[in-house]
Amino acid sequence: MQNRPSGFGNPWLQLGLSVVCVFASELLLKRGASEVAAPDDAFSWTGINGLASPLVWWAIVLIIASFISWLYVLRYIPLSFAYPLSRVVDILVPLGCWIFLGELISTLRWCGIGLVVFGLALVAKPIAKMEERL
Amino acid sequence: MTFLAFLFILISLVTFVAAQLILKKAMEFSATHGMRNSYFVSRVAIGVVLMTVSFFLTLGLLQRFDLSYLYPFQGLSVIFITILAAVVLKEKLSARLAIGALLITAGIVLVSMS
Repeated sequence: MQNRPSGFGNPWLQLGLSVVCVFASELLLKRGASEVAAPDDAFSWTGINGLASPLVWWAIVLIIASFISWLYVLRYIPLSFAYPLSRVVDILVPLGCWIFLGELISTLRWCGIGLVVFGLALVAKPIAKMEERL
Repeated sequence: MTFLAFLFILISLVTFVAAQLILKKAMEFSATHGMRNSYFVSRVAIGVVLMTVSFFLTLGLLQRFDLSYLYPFQGLSVIFITILAAVVLKEKLSARLAIGALLITAGIVLVSMS
């Protein structure tokens, strides 16, 4: 973590940007997929019809941006430190579904989401270490 | 949830995790051997194809389910990595990992019932 650049190149800022890009891309993908949804059409399982929505293309741009930011972050911050922090997105996405997408989340689903988030927080560090060695 | 939907969720997650690991291997290889070799190019190509498959399957699933329903299933990727580490690295399952995996599994069961 030495010789850390400042300003826009600050890896902590880039980590934050990466998380925001992932969060926004998930919501845009859902909105875009819903716009062009054709659940009765078997071909739509492939998801290719989703490309008809501009929101999906914006999501793709954000996914690429998050990927570039993430690669940059890993040059300065070890995976076993950056990965657990990046999992804050697991809390942001369900909240975003509720606030921005207006999804009706039952108590049962909130409990399930809570258990998954807690479990992910618990294993984030050992999983990152395993990924480093795999 | 239908069997088909669950199958696509699993394929989408497995292809994503496999792509990540293959791309990581390719980048590690490029650090010592450069990028102008068939090993690097083929691994990157396989990684990109797998990521694309995962992306489109997710897009197909999002047309049918809430994001708040699908998103927690990503927790399963942790379980795939744990299994892979046990097989490839002969890694033993620590108490922390076991408890975490159980919590994630229980959470996903609750979400899938909702």
